Order: sequence, then C-alpha cells, then structure tokens
Amino acid sequence: MTDVPASDAPAIDVQAAVDKFNALTGSHIASYLDACVHCGQCAQVCHFHEVTKDPRRTPAVKLKPITKVYNRHKAPFSGLRKAFGLAPELTADDLREWEELIFDSCTMCGRCTVVCPMAIDIASVVAISRQAFAAAGLGPADLMQAAETSRDKGSPLGVTTDVLEDRIEWLEDEHEVEIALDKPEADILLLVSSIELMKYPDSIVAMAKLLNHAGANWTLSTKGYESTNFGFLSGKGDIAKIMITRITEAAEAVGAKTVVVPECGHAFGVLRWAGANILGRPLPYEVTHITEYLAGLKRAGKLAFKPMADAITYHDPCQISRRGGATEDARYLLDGFATGFTEMTPTGNYNWCCGGGGGVQAIGRAANVRHEVFRIKMKQVEETGAEAMVSACSNCRLTMDESKAALGWDKQLMSLVEILADHLLVAEK
Amino acid sequence: MAENSTTGFSKTLLTGVMVILALLVLFGLQPSALAGELPTRQKVPDITDTSRPYGPGDLSDMWRGIRMGEPSSVTRPGKDGDVLIQSEGGQWQARRGALIIKYGSMVLIAIIAVIALYFMLFGRIRIKGGRSGLVIPRFTLIQRVVHWSVALLIVMLSLSGLILLVGRDSLIPVMGREGFSIVASAAMEGHNLFGPLLIPALIAMFVTFVRGNGYRLIDIKWLFKGGGFLGGHASSYKYNFGEKTWFWWAMVLGLVVCASGVAMLFPEITPGRRFLQFANLAHAAAAIGIIAFAIGHIYLGTIGMEGALEGMTKGTVDKNWAKEHHDLWHDEHVQAATTDTAGAEVAAAAHGDVLPEGAGE
Amino acid sequence: MTMQQFIEGPLWTFAATVFLVGVAWRIVAIMMIGKPKDLTVAKSSSMAGAAKSIALHSVPHGGNLSRTIYHVISGYAFHLGLFALLFLAAPHVTFISERIVTVPWPAMPRWAFIIAAEAAFAGLILLYLRRLTDPIMRQLSDWDDHVGTWLTFLAMLTGCLALQESHIGLRLFHMVTVQVWMIYFPFSRLMHAFTFAMARKHTGATYGRRGFTP
Ligand code: HEM
Ligand code: HEM
Ligand code: HEM
Ligand code: HEM
Ligand code: SF4
Ligand code: SF4
Repeated sequence: MTDVPASDAPAIDVQAAVDKFNALTGSHIASYLDACVHCGQCAQVCHFHEVTKDPRRTPAVKLKPITKVYNRHKAPFSGLRKAFGLAPELTADDLREWEELIFDSCTMCGRCTVVCPMAIDIASVVAISRQAFAAAGLGPADLMQAAETSRDKGSPLGVTTDVLEDRIEWLEDEHEVEIALDKPEADILLLVSSIELMKYPDSIVAMAKLLNHAGANWTLSTKGYESTNFGFLSGKGDIAKIMITRITEAAEAVGAKTVVVPECGHAFGVLRWAGANILGRPLPYEVTHITEYLAGLKRAGKLAFKPMADAITYHDPCQISRRGGATEDARYLLDGFATGFTEMTPTGNYNWCCGGGGGVQAIGRAANVRHEVFRIKMKQVEETGAEAMVSACSNCRLTMDESKAALGWDKQLMSLVEILADHLLVAEK
Repeated sequence: MAENSTTGFSKTLLTGVMVILALLVLFGLQPSALAGELPTRQKVPDITDTSRPYGPGDLSDMWRGIRMGEPSSVTRPGKDGDVLIQSEGGQWQARRGALIIKYGSMVLIAIIAVIALYFMLFGRIRIKGGRSGLVIPRFTLIQRVVHWSVALLIVMLSLSGLILLVGRDSLIPVMGREGFSIVASAAMEGHNLFGPLLIPALIAMFVTFVRGNGYRLIDIKWLFKGGGFLGGHASSYKYNFGEKTWFWWAMVLGLVVCASGVAMLFPEITPGRRFLQFANLAHAAAAIGIIAFAIGHIYLGTIGMEGALEGMTKGTVDKNWAKEHHDLWHDEHVQAATTDTAGAEVAAAAHGDVLPEGAGE
Repeated sequence: MTMQQFIEGPLWTFAATVFLVGVAWRIVAIMMIGKPKDLTVAKSSSMAGAAKSIALHSVPHGGNLSRTIYHVISGYAFHLGLFALLFLAAPHVTFISERIVTVPWPAMPRWAFIIAAEAAFAGLILLYLRRLTDPIMRQLSDWDDHVGTWLTFLAMLTGCLALQESHIGLRLFHMVTVQVWMIYFPFSRLMHAFTFAMARKHTGATYGRRGFTP
C-alpha cells in the first residue's frame, strides 16, 4: 500500500487503537461525532489550514478515525450499520495516514470550537485520538521520546534532579537571588518547565524575585518539579499519570496547599483541568497559573510595579486564556504598569495560536509549518505597531523564537514574569 | 478534424441563434406586433342618458359598450378591472398559440435535431493529444456556485415553463386532462417559487462573470474564421465569441424574463391587462431564446466536449484543453499549470485564474 | 385500501413511529454511553456554561464572521426559512392543530410564506452547491450528507408543488417524500437538529467551569 519497505514500517496494533478509542468515547465525544454536519467552517480559523490551505488540515477531518470506530462499535444503531456493511473497521492504513494530522497538525488550541456551529471541542477529541495512536505504536519519534525521557529522567529535556540542583545553584549565584529548593515545608510548591531551565532561566529568577518580594512561603522540590506533561501531549496516559503523581507527592511532602504552574500553557491546562481526572482523585491542592497567582498578589497590594513605556503587545497562550480561563489575569497585571500596551486583533480568548502548542513544538518535522504559522503572528504584531510581544508561556516563546530566527524577524519576544520582575517597585525601607 | 467539427458546430449553433434573434426582433420586441393591431374604438353611446331614444330593455348599446372594453361600474374598480370584456385578450391568445408556441417549438426541436445529428456524425469533441496531466486553475468557488445556481434555476424554470407553455398541446394527449392538471398545477407553483430567485442569481452572475466577457477585436477574427471552421486556428482569451454571446444573451433575455415574470407575479404593480399580455408574450419569447441557447451550451458543457465540465465542477482544466480552446488564455496562464491537481483546485477555489503575486513579469 | 388511505393511514403511522422512537432512542443511547465524572475543581458554573452555549453559540462571535459569512448567511436563510415553513405555513398549521396538538396555532400570512420559502430554497441550494465545489467540504462529505440534503430538498419541493392544495396526488406525493425523510432522519446526520444541543451542552459545561465558554 505505502512505499515504506515492510521491514522499516513499525508494527501497527490496530486493535489496541480500536480498544483505546472505544474506552475513551464518552457521551460527550459521542455527541460531538454525531453532531458534526461537515460544514467545514472550522477550517477557516485553524492556523494549520490557514497557512497550508490544505483541505486535509480541516479540523473536522481529525475526527474521522475515531468516528469510524464509533460508528462500528459504540454508536446508536451501529448494529444496523454493520448489517448493511456501512461501518467498516479502522485499518492500519487509516492510522498511518492520519498520524500527521493527529500529532503534527493540531496544537489543541481550541480556535475551531469557537466557529463550529455545534461547538465541537476538536482539541479534546485529538487528545483522545493521540492516546489511541500511541497505543497502536504510532506518533512522531521525537515527541514520544520527550515523553519517555520525562518518565525516565524527570523532564523531557533530560533535566535530572542533579541538573536541577546545579542549575538552581548557578542561578542563585549569578543573579544573587534566593531560590528555595526542597524546603521541608512550604505553603506553595512552585513548578518549573524544563524549557525555562535550559533556555529561559531568567524567568525562574524572575518568579523567585517576585514571590520573595511578596513574602510568599514557597519552594521548588526535587521530588516533583517538571510542570510540562509530555505524557499527555504524546498520548501516553501512563506517563501523564506518573508526572502528575510526582507533583502531587511533592506537594504532599512539603504540605503545600497551592501549586503554582510557571509560564507554560499546556502544563497549566493539563494539571489544572485534567490533573485530577488523570490521577483518578481530586488533587489535594489548588492549581494556579503564575499569572493568576501574581494577579492575586497585586490585588492584595503585595506587588507594585514601576511603569514601563515600551510599545508591547500580549500573546495569549491558548491553554491559559481560551482554554484555561485566566485571560483577565495577564491584563490585570499589565494594567497601569505597561503604559505602551496594545492588544492584537483578535486577542484574548480568540487569539491565534503560536503554532507550537500541544507538543507540536517538539515535533521536528513540523518546523516549517510552524514557521508559516508564525507569519500570522508577525502580521498581527506589526498591525499593533508594538516593538515587542510579551507572553506567559515559555513553549510559545520557544516556538516563536525559533520561527523568528528562521524568518529573520526584527521584533522582540519577552516573558511577562521577566518584565514584571524587572519593574518591581521596591519600596525604600 | 476535431477542430473543424468543433467550430462547425459553433457555426451551426450561431446560425440558429441568429435566426431566433431575428425572430425576436421581428415579433418580440415590439409591443404592438405582439399584442396585435387594436380595433379602433368607436364612440359608444352613454347608456345612462335617459334622453336617448331607446326604450327600457334595449341594452344592445350597453352590450356593445362592454364588448368594446368600455369601463363599467364594478365593486372593485381600479386599473382596468372594470373592463368586463377585453377583446385584445383574444389576440393575445392567438399570438401565443400561432407565434410563440408554434415557432418556439419549431426552434427548440430544430436545435435539438441539429445537435443530435452533429453528435451522431462527429461524436464528442475530444482533447487533441489527450490529457496532459497538468491542470490550470480557471474558476473560483464563488463563480462556480453562482454558475450552478443560475444553471439549476434555469433548468427548473425551463422545464416548468415549457409544461405551462406547450403542455396543453403535447402532454394532454399523453396523460389526459386529469393528469395534466396535476402536472400543470405543480409546474405553476414551482415556476412561481423559483422564478424570483433567478433575479439575485443573474445579478450575481453578471458581477462574477462580466470580466473577460467583453467583446474584443479578436472575436471578429474568430467569427470570420468561423471559429476555425474555414481552416486555421481561431484564437481566444478566457472566453471565445460563442461564450461571450451566451453570456450577454443570457443577461439581456434574463432581464426580459425577470421583468416580465415579476409583472405576471405581481399584477397589481402593472398598468393593466394589455401590459400583462405583452409581458406574457415577451416572457415566453425570451424564455424560448434562453432555452434554445442553453441547450447548445449544456450540450457543449457536458457530453459535447471532453474536458469542459471540470472547469465548472473542480475549478481546473487540463492544460491541453486550454491550449486547444482558449489558446491566448492558456499562454497567459501556462505558468500556473501543475500536476498537483489537489493544490490547483484549492488555488482555483480561492483565486480562480488570477495568477499568484509575483508570477509573470 | 386505496393508495391514499395507505399513505395517510399505516404508512404515516409507521413513519411517525420510526421518527419518534428513532430520535428518542438515538438521544438516549448517546446519553447512556456515559462519561466519567470530572474531578477537577470548577472555577465557574458548568450549568451556566451549558445554557449559554446552547442558547448563544448560534450567534457568530470571536471576530471570525468575515471568514464564515457564506455559511452564516446561507445557513440561517435555509434553517429559519425551513422552520417557518414547518411550523407556521398554513397547511402545516392545519395539519398540526388537527392531528397533533389541538390548540390554535397562528399561521403566517402568504407574503411571509413566500419569503420563507424563497429563503429556505436559496439557502439550501447555496449550501449544497458549496458542498459540491469547495475542496474543504468535498473532503468532509460522505453519502449521508448528500442523501440527507436531497431528501430535505425533495420534501420542500414537493411541499411547494402541492401548494394549490387542489390535487390529492400532489399532496400524497409530498406526504410520501416527507415520510421517507422521517424514516431516514434518526439514522442519519439529519439528527443534528437534536444532537447540536447535546454537543453544545458538553462544550459549554466543560468550559463553563473554566470560566470561558468558547
Ligand atoms: C429563464 C428563466 C425562465 C424561463 C425559461 C421561463 C419560462 C416560462 C414559460 C415558458 C412560461 C409559460 C408562458 C405561457 O404559458 O404563456 C412562463 C410563465 C411564467 N413565468 Fe417564467 N420563465 C423564466 C423565468 C421567470 C422568472 C424569473 C419569473 C418571475 C420572477 C417568472 C414568472 C413567470 C410567471 C408568473 C409565469 C406565468 C405562468 C403561470 O404562473 O401560470 N418566470 N415562464
Ligand atoms: C445545466 C447545465 C449547464 C452546464 C452543464 C454548464 C456547463 C458550463 C461549463 C462547463 C462552463 C465552462 C466553460 C469554460 O470553461 O469556458 C460554463 C460556463 C458558463 N456557463 Fe454554463 N452550464 C450550464 C448551464 C448554464 C446556464 C443555464 C447558464 C445561464 C446563464 C450558464 C452560463 C454560463 C456562463 C455565463 C459561463 C461562463 C462562460 C461564458 O461567459 O459564457 N450556464 N458552463
Ligand atoms: C417549502 C416547504 C413546504 C411546503 C410548501 C409544504 C406544504 C405542504 C402542504 C401544502 C401540505 C398539505 C396539507 C394538507 O392539505 O394535508 C403539507 C403537508 C404536510 N407537510 Fe409540508 N410543506 C413543506 C415542507 C415540508 C417539510 C420539509 C416537511 C417535513 C419535514 C413537511 C411535512 C408535512 C407533513 C407531515 C404534512 C402533512 C401531510 C398531510 O397529512 O396532508 N412539509 N405540506
Ligand atoms: C428539522 C430540522 C433540520 C433539518 C431538516 C436540517 C437540515 C439540514 C441540511 C439538509 C443541512 C445540509 C446542508 C448542506 O448540504 O450543506 C443542514 C446543515 C446544517 N444544519 Fe441543519 N437542519 C435542521 C435543524 C438544524 C438545527 C436545529 C440546527 C441548529 C443549530 C442546524 C444547524 C445546521 C448547521 C450548522 C448546518 C451546516 C450548514 C453549513 O453547511 O454551513 N440544523 N441542515
Ligand atoms: S484545536 Fe487548534 S490546531 Fe487543533 S484543529 Fe482546532 S484550530 Fe486547529
Ligand atoms: S465546524 Fe464543527 S460541524 Fe462544521 S465541520 Fe467543523 S467540526 Fe464539523
């Protein structure tokens, strides 16, 4: 069928995929699959369709493999359909053909849901589909590897506890800031993203400065520090659970009632809105994103900032704004501080995705499409006249930094916590 | 051979069209010709005039008055609603039968016969040298949607309209009066329902297709070469002379059927019966004109010519088809030719035959 | 039994039963699949989100109207026209108040009827032509989309052809197409007339608890 030599082609376990699809198809997914009227409006807002104009990158096309399984096994009247020969079984070729769509071509950003007349949440169907594909042994090697490295070493970039300790020590020395690691007891457990640790360490320093200044009782923990969850993104449910278990054990060990997720959208989305379900029990702590937490501190009068006049705009990470419910917190933080702040169009809950969410950032073969997606962002930023784009997600930032370099764009990319920390108003004692 | 036959057909079609055009000019566009010579009205005596010499019960003048179309007193006056007998109605009926139905049917039958004969003799016009495997984007999504809206409406209106026009003569013998009354009732409702939709559809067609359909010098050459029939190649840009004529033909006669149709649907807005009778005849004549040309167009668009239909369905055409039938357009757009058919369809849907920025000089 | 008696009697009963039972069954069967309880801590009300989504998601929002304007206009023209015809056209009102609910039911005037019918036909034709020509919709469509649209079109068409109400034959023709449509409905994507609310409810509830309903 395909031109891949048989010996190279990985064995595809179709039955495992079918079982996984069936197990994960709840009445919400069933409603989605039955309601899709094949109108194609979702294509008009998905950035992957926008830049490729490839009809196959229509979001609704991503529903096809699970729909096939649903129609044969779980749908009402599936017996009737089978009797008429109208419900064929999923094939290995289907899975092979859809792998790229399910992994490389969806950042689970949720834009399509906004225009879908049926409000179908394609992002959550893609998340489920990834589990089935992973069960069948499919998925981009680099994404799968990131998940496995998280399981084996503690973080997708291989940041082991030793590396963590070294990096934190170096940051403390370098920036003369106290970064609490493994305090025996704390109210707050702060997580980090390995992208920050390896590429944007300044943002860890910034969070430490802000929390210290506000007098928060917080710590990092070597038991559970990695906030990103590549188990979830790659469709490996067991690894997703391991990652959440680590965080939960760490929080329980220090007695933290609050876990603060750093600048990482998916880390927040997964822990806040799926964590308890993946773990199978309510989380014994509150999950909050760093922007939510800082907004709370500002509201309580514990943080104040010197005005910053730079012409900036703000990129909403999808999982924090549209799908996270924390859109307003970043605005609250910028309010009164960033005097040169202009919104993009569209913005907030309706923003365009950076193109690298949902683990797509980690998929090497998707790099070119990501760069094309970034052109949408470039145009949006240029229309505001801003010189810099601020974001609250290191994954967005990494994605956009790579594209910026690839396309030779001249604007700046910044982190929200970093500019906040740089403009912290330290009252004269 | 193939080339000659193509254009030979166009020529035949063209002649037929000219004949219809002539017919229309002769009868169609002059109200008086259609409605017939009016009897000169005589001064009718005033029957309410008691000083007159006739006794009570002598109503012959009154009847003469009515017969001559003199207004009477009715419960719902207005327009010519008070005219009890309108003699011109008889003439309208006669013209409809003797001119429109008779010659209209003849024209349609002749066209179908010519096409059938042509098809039997020469068969389908094939793409010379076969398909190239390369396609060129031609029509946008909007153009195609508009075209098929118009096409669908005109086909439905033609069928239902013809049932109304010639059904009495041709269908009653087949299905009987009872059967025909059902079909006619259905046809009338359908015709009245779909008719108004043609107005926005034609406007949309004008807007989306007018570009490229203006006549140019080259069309005269095309015509002199008989569309290539007299030997040599008849060049054309996006549309050839025949297509341009079809476009304007459909627009002008479309205007006539729409205007007259609206008048018949909403008689309140018209000056009166004479106008309606004229409208009816103009409507039917123009309808025959559209149907006649449409038969040729539909034939060429479907079974008549290999490779034409896909331009209107997928939006792309084969490079060899373009070279053969629209050589100058082909030369302008050859750089867009590609083997990536799926990609070309997407490009066609969005931009039609407009070349991407930076292409060409 | 005459054809008329058959169509108005047993066939009608059969079609109506298949329709009602089929629709109910399909809805219940989807709900019976069930879904695991959400253990995360809600930030806002899921009920409010669900209600908002069902009621307001029909209103274009999010600044994408220029991208979806074709579907929005033709979709609304078709559906609003169709609903007006279904529930407010005089013959249907008579039918409903005689055979289904015996309460007085206002019928719309003739001019409104004509506008509704024109809108419904124009909308459906535009949607369907796009389905046939747009590479995106072609990619998505399967035979069910075509059958569903054709049956709906035929039901509307035969309904309009029967408008003079002076021929039993035309009336029966309409009834038969409507009956075929009713029998096909529960097994097809026409069910979106009901499942739309279920899909919106789930999205509305899931995101309502997060504080933003997309
Ligand atoms: C290409 C398009 C059309 C064709 C081919 C067509 C054809 C015809 C024909 C052949 C008749 C029968 C005339 C007769 O029996 O004397 C007719 C009648 C009529 N047409 Fe059209 N027509 C077209 C468009 C329209 C439009 C656009 C309208 C309205 C807006 C319209 C409204 C009518 C009306 C009201 C009648 C009177 C017949 C009746 O209702 O019984 N038609 N048409
Ligand atoms: C149902 C039958 C019809 C079919 C199969 C059909 C087919 C086609 C095809 C294949 C083309 C593309 C020709 C090319 O690529 O140059 C075309 C063009 C066109 N058609 Fe039709 N058509 C139909 C009915 C109509 C009707 C009823 C109209 C009425 C106005 C119409 C108006 C046009 C126009 C304006 C063009 C553009 C070319 C030109 O300006 O003449 N078509 N049609
Ligand atoms: C443009 C659209 C439609 C029109 C103009 C129309 C018109 C009519 C007419 C004239 C009748 C005859 C009433 C009688 O005297 O018994 C009728 C009956 C009926 N129509 Fe429609 N209809 C339309 C669309 C539909 C559709 C889409 C449906 C269903 C999906 C439908 C369902 C029915 C039913 C169930 C009856 C009752 C049949 C009877 O017992 O006579 N109609 N309609
Ligand atoms: C009796 C009820 C209904 C019927 C017969 C019906 C019929 C149809 C048909 C035939 C289509 C397909 C058009 C095409 O080929 O593209 C369609 C599309 C659609 N329907 Fe319905 N429908 C009904 C109720 C509803 C309801 C209640 C909704 C609610 C929200 C809805 C929303 C839609 C949407 C969003 C589309 C897609 C339009 C597009 O292509 O953009 N329908 N419907
Ligand atoms: S969730 Fe985002 S990336 Fe995925 S299909 Fe929808 S719009 Fe496209
Ligand atoms: S917009 Fe919604 S209903 Fe339409 S095709 Fe996409 S997923 Fe299906």
